[in-house]
Amino acid sequence: MNNVRLRVCAVSAAVLIGLTACGGGTDVEAADLTAEPEYEGTLSILTKFGGEPLSPYFEDLAAEYTSLHPDVDFEIIQETDQSIKDKTKTLVASSALPDIYFSWTGDYADKFIEGGLATDLTSVLAPDSEWGGTFGAASLDAFAKDGKYYAVPLYNNGKFMGYNKAVFDAAGVAVPTTFEELLAACPKLEAQGVEPLAFGNKDGWPGLHFLQQLFAYNVPQDVLEKDFDPATATWDHPGYVKSLEEFQSVVQDCTGTGSDSNGVLYSTAQQAQSSGKAAMYFQEILEFDSVVTDASAIKAEDFGIFALPAPEGAEGDPAALEGSPEGMMVNAKSPRQALAVDFLKFVTSKANAETLAGAPYSQPSTIVGAVSDATASPAVVEGVAELNDASYLLGWLDAVTVPDVADAWLAGGEALVSGSETPEEVLSSVRAASDSAE
Amino acid sequence: MRRRRRPRGWAWVAPALLLLGVFVYLPLLQNLQYSVMKWDIYAGGSSFVGLANYEKLAGDPVFWRALFNNSAYAAVSLLCQVFGALLLAALVEGLRSERWRRALRAIYFVPSAISLTVAGLLFYFVYEPELGILNALLRGVGLDSLTQAWLGQEGTAIWAVIAMSQWQGFGYSTLLFAIAIQRIPQDLFDAASLDGVGPIRRFFQVTVPLTREMTGLMIIVTLSGAFQVFNEVMVMTSGGPNNSSQVLVTWLYRMGFGRNDFGYAAAIATVIFVLTLGIALLQLAITRKRRVEW
Amino acid sequence: MVSRSNVLGVVLRTFVASFLLALAVVVVYPLLWMVLNGFKTNSELFGNPFALPLQFTWDNYAKAWNRGVSSYLMTSVLVTVTSTIATVFISAWAAYGLTRMQIPFSRTVLALILGGLMLAPAVALIPLVKMFQALGLYNTFWALLILYVAFRIPFTTFLIRAYMVDLPLEIDEAAAVDGAGKARAFWSIVLPMCKPILVSSVILNILFTWNEYLFAMVFTSGGDLQTLPIGLTNLMSKHGTEYPVVFAGMTIAAVPVILLFFLTQKYFVKGLADGVGK
Repeated sequence: MNNVRLRVCAVSAAVLIGLTACGGGTDVEAADLTAEPEYEGTLSILTKFGGEPLSPYFEDLAAEYTSLHPDVDFEIIQETDQSIKDKTKTLVASSALPDIYFSWTGDYADKFIEGGLATDLTSVLAPDSEWGGTFGAASLDAFAKDGKYYAVPLYNNGKFMGYNKAVFDAAGVAVPTTFEELLAACPKLEAQGVEPLAFGNKDGWPGLHFLQQLFAYNVPQDVLEKDFDPATATWDHPGYVKSLEEFQSVVQDCTGTGSDSNGVLYSTAQQAQSSGKAAMYFQEILEFDSVVTDASAIKAEDFGIFALPAPEGAEGDPAALEGSPEGMMVNAKSPRQALAVDFLKFVTSKANAETLAGAPYSQPSTIVGAVSDATASPAVVEGVAELNDASYLLGWLDAVTVPDVADAWLAGGEALVSGSETPEEVLSSVRAASDSAE
Repeated sequence: MRRRRRPRGWAWVAPALLLLGVFVYLPLLQNLQYSVMKWDIYAGGSSFVGLANYEKLAGDPVFWRALFNNSAYAAVSLLCQVFGALLLAALVEGLRSERWRRALRAIYFVPSAISLTVAGLLFYFVYEPELGILNALLRGVGLDSLTQAWLGQEGTAIWAVIAMSQWQGFGYSTLLFAIAIQRIPQDLFDAASLDGVGPIRRFFQVTVPLTREMTGLMIIVTLSGAFQVFNEVMVMTSGGPNNSSQVLVTWLYRMGFGRNDFGYAAAIATVIFVLTLGIALLQLAITRKRRVEW
Repeated sequence: MVSRSNVLGVVLRTFVASFLLALAVVVVYPLLWMVLNGFKTNSELFGNPFALPLQFTWDNYAKAWNRGVSSYLMTSVLVTVTSTIATVFISAWAAYGLTRMQIPFSRTVLALILGGLMLAPAVALIPLVKMFQALGLYNTFWALLILYVAFRIPFTTFLIRAYMVDLPLEIDEAAAVDGAGKARAFWSIVLPMCKPILVSSVILNILFTWNEYLFAMVFTSGGDLQTLPIGLTNLMSKHGTEYPVVFAGMTIAAVPVILLFFLTQKYFVKGLADGVGK
């Protein structure tokens, strides 16, 4: 049916060259998500699991689902952390958004919700529902807007300092409990002949991860949330300048590459810790099992994690952590919403969630009880526990802000690393971007 | 009497005209229309905003930075890929051994055959501060103080990309100039030699004037290409750090697909259109004038 | 006896020769480094950048091949072959019409077709995205095929037309006397006579399509549709630290065109000369 309409549209458009008539997507009637779906057709999925070792996860699940329901097949587009944003926008712009697609929390998710592209899943996913009850409540809430639930959180993610216990012991350095102690530890670690902190900022966002965690420590939560919305933003809390200065000192005092870090890929930094050449590397939970592998120089027993320590006397929340769940939305314009929901239920079944939590995927599933010593590596279990204990989870800086402001932060972070701009200059361009985005 | 202007002739040019009309000329016109609109791809709506996008352009420091970078690209490419390549072609064609001439032309051309993506990725690694051969080379000859993250520093990033582009492209223009030089009648060189004219003056008195047409063409091709640069910048720096290596097309891409501001992206596209068309018309005007002179 | 100017000449020649050789080294060395890095292990790569690989196993090349490069290569071959054939035929067809037929407003038609040479593809990018969305062709093989053909017609027509103009009209007329129609004269007489320029056009189109990046990046979104230039950047971002695999992938992408260049060097050079040097 839909195919026919599409073809007719294509032909008439080619003839008329008018084109506008066919541009708008047809609004699909709100589907009854609680009903049994029709098990037929092609489900398209946009994932962020494009890299090794993640890519087989959805491919395997799709194959298994097809063996259960032979009339359903899949078109899976796998992107990476780096490429997913641009690709998603291209797909949206061309009305080719798949039935199921990846989303971060924050402004990134709001765009889909406000644009009418995200299906309201409340009827099946509310915390008190059968399916919703299997998720950690905080993860579900992270994607909620005005009391409605729009996304299926797949896994939690958070940022931690991974460190090499053997190097720390040899240097006589204890796990730092304040930001100042972290800075003081770096020369001692360097004396061991390693890079104290591996840092690759070629793509800009690794620097933002430091900034956002420092913002959480130095700026009160209500101020932060006000500043993320261009309508109420002022970006003038003194905690911002302090955070930017602290970021500059950690780059200068702790990284081996210093102001050259913009030329280093984050994966090169990851490799430095993996091969035992760096004492620390600030990383997402998702990276733990890429750093420590069977072939890596650093062994599991030497790998530990700690949250980036908060500066002394910081004005914000010292127990806040940078992290957020990441999940999948169902395209509100898809004619196969019920089927999409059924597939996502399949993906988040206890067994499949445990597969996700275990090696080689090592993604901290949001399904209650899926991450345990039996399924996941010790560092992942510890990271998830810390995330659960955190008083406040703050999403990625480039996902919680609007694109113009996110870009201003990306450029500003790079400018701080290379030293070409002062913290005040960076902040004023962020303010300008925020004002014009209103 | 011959039958003239038979409409059947249209059947021959129709496929080409149709494809060009629909997929080249129509989008060009639509681009002008989009550049005066604000267009939200998520909500799907668009509204007329007049010249707001162009006003924003004038006040956007990154746009000016991109324009500067494109101009730098044009200047360096003119120097290396037009004048440098002409000189190089003259040197190569001045060699006595035909085998060496052919071998050198071919070797110099190889980087032009591999794609800019491969060349860009390759030079990403050449410039890499830790494992790149450029810094290793500098360290090897004792110039440690010069080692740096070539693509990671705001002062060097665009120049490093431009340098890669010269490496990739000089063989192509050298080959073309070599062909142009081969077309110069040998007697002219011989006559100059007999008159006791040395090789340097011979270059300026014979080679340069007689390859003038090729030079003119290469200037246009190089200039126009310099304002359409995209691939190598995208692969090597994506415009960073701190937007220092943005060029017009990467900024257009970033604005459109990164920030959903398709109207603004269309305004940047209009600037590229005006620049490249201006360069092309300049060429037409010059060649026409020359034809009149003859 | 050696004159002063002779000494100077020898010095100059030696200097020029060493300069030309040094330049050749600058060109070849990075390429050689790329090929060799495809044989290294990660720790070798991060160890000494100048060192030769310790072993010559094809592991990295096999990995790159299996991690998508084979599929990128297939797509590239398919897009290149189809768009080149289509471009050259449509262009030759148009060139014949422009040189042999009486067409109303023929000067305007010529200007319209060749005028496409002056237009930068990036300018049409945003509307094209919208148009292909409306046509339902976004992220299809057709998108790339149509775009590559449309944007290559001006240049290819320009080449072939310039060649056909120089072919004497008498041959067509002879065919007409034989009773052969225009179309048959085109297929059986004019086209074969244009063989040299057709070969050059084919080679130039292959070079263009194989390496094209902007359209390939914007109009395809994964799956089996990505061409080598896009696939290689994916290989880089998807396989994190396994740089030797990336080098192997780059080598696999570069080798076919370099081979094509050396095998068809004569036509290649001629094509360039006819194309830009006319």
